[in-house]
Amino acid sequence: MADRMARMAEIASSRTAGDVLVGLGLGSCIGLALTDDSDRAAALAHIVLPVSSEARSSDTASVAKFADIAVPALVNEMVRLGVPVSRVFATLVGGAQMFAMAGSMDIGARNEEAVRAALARQGVAVRAAVTGGSVGRTVRVYVGLGRVTYKEAGGQEIDMLPAAVAMRRAA
Amino acid sequence: MDLTELQLDALREMANIGSGNAATALASMLGRPVDLNVPSASALPLADAVEAVGDVTTEVTAVAIPVAGDLCATVLMTFKPSHAATLCGFLGVAGDPEMELSALQEIGNILGSAYINAMGTMCGLEMEPAPPMAAVDMLGAIVASVLATAANSSDLALLLDSSMIVEGAECEFGFLFVPDENGVSELLGRLGLWEQDAA
Repeated sequence: MADRMARMAEIASSRTAGDVLVGLGLGSCIGLALTDDSDRAAALAHIVLPVSSEARSSDTASVAKFADIAVPALVNEMVRLGVPVSRVFATLVGGAQMFAMAGSMDIGARNEEAVRAALARQGVAVRAAVTGGSVGRTVRVYVGLGRVTYKEAGGQEIDMLPAAVAMRRAA
Repeated sequence: MDLTELQLDALREMANIGSGNAATALASMLGRPVDLNVPSASALPLADAVEAVGDVTTEVTAVAIPVAGDLCATVLMTFKPSHAATLCGFLGVAGDPEMELSALQEIGNILGSAYINAMGTMCGLEMEPAPPMAAVDMLGAIVASVLATAANSSDLALLLDSSMIVEGAECEFGFLFVPDENGVSELLGRLGLWEQDAA
């Protein structure tokens, strides 16, 4: 049982019940958590920027830095841990604009858009998301419990998953 | 973007001159002596760079000043909230959170301008500060968001890090200069320390 950190541009994963995957201090970055219905495994990426195309390929050693590379890599990680893609779903935290600046590009919003597009290409559904605004957040993924939480600075830890029973009934 | 010791030394020296000028500006604004620690210059992987600035979950008051011109960069000042309040007290605006943030932005504007003017004069670079922005949040969220704008195609972030201490008061703050990757080569190029084929 251990805390596994997904630091900036890093991936953390586990299939040991009791492990907690943690992404601390997400601002414009996105904490993308992948979990599955049988709660077998979980993976978390700390994604920094939307697209890798502007980067030199030799410099993309950090697999989680760009959404377009990070998402397939994270899905593969779940497959490696024994979860079929069809059972994987996503939770998004982050994508804020820490400094509201008129006219500047909002990296947080672009990150969210890129992550959602890449998930759609992989056929992975988004089950919960707490994104946008201008606050930093921390995401925690409790392996084996299917529990995903977020926390804002000075705030309480709030559950995002498992989703409410009402939501399952509606599905 | 691997930098040699010589290059980092040169950048450290520029941080020293820039932050020295900024500390002088602060001292004359407050009418109090301001100390400066020896600045550091480091090129680190993104994750390490965030942690080098401090404990990522600490709540801080931050002022960011985007810099544009011959060189793009961000100046970032980070305060413990109580230290920010002390500084605002010196300026007679303690108590009202909105006024405090506005005062800190003004200080950021003055110090950031002093820093980039000194650096620009030394290197022959034209730089302009944009209006400052303030936030109160987790240090990690703030620093990572600044690094995200600076480090697009490189996995290394360059930080010029100094801290200023207002003497005789509980008032100390971090002062970071984060050039984007083109900014690093531009700076070093003006000092004759950038090889084109190293780019």
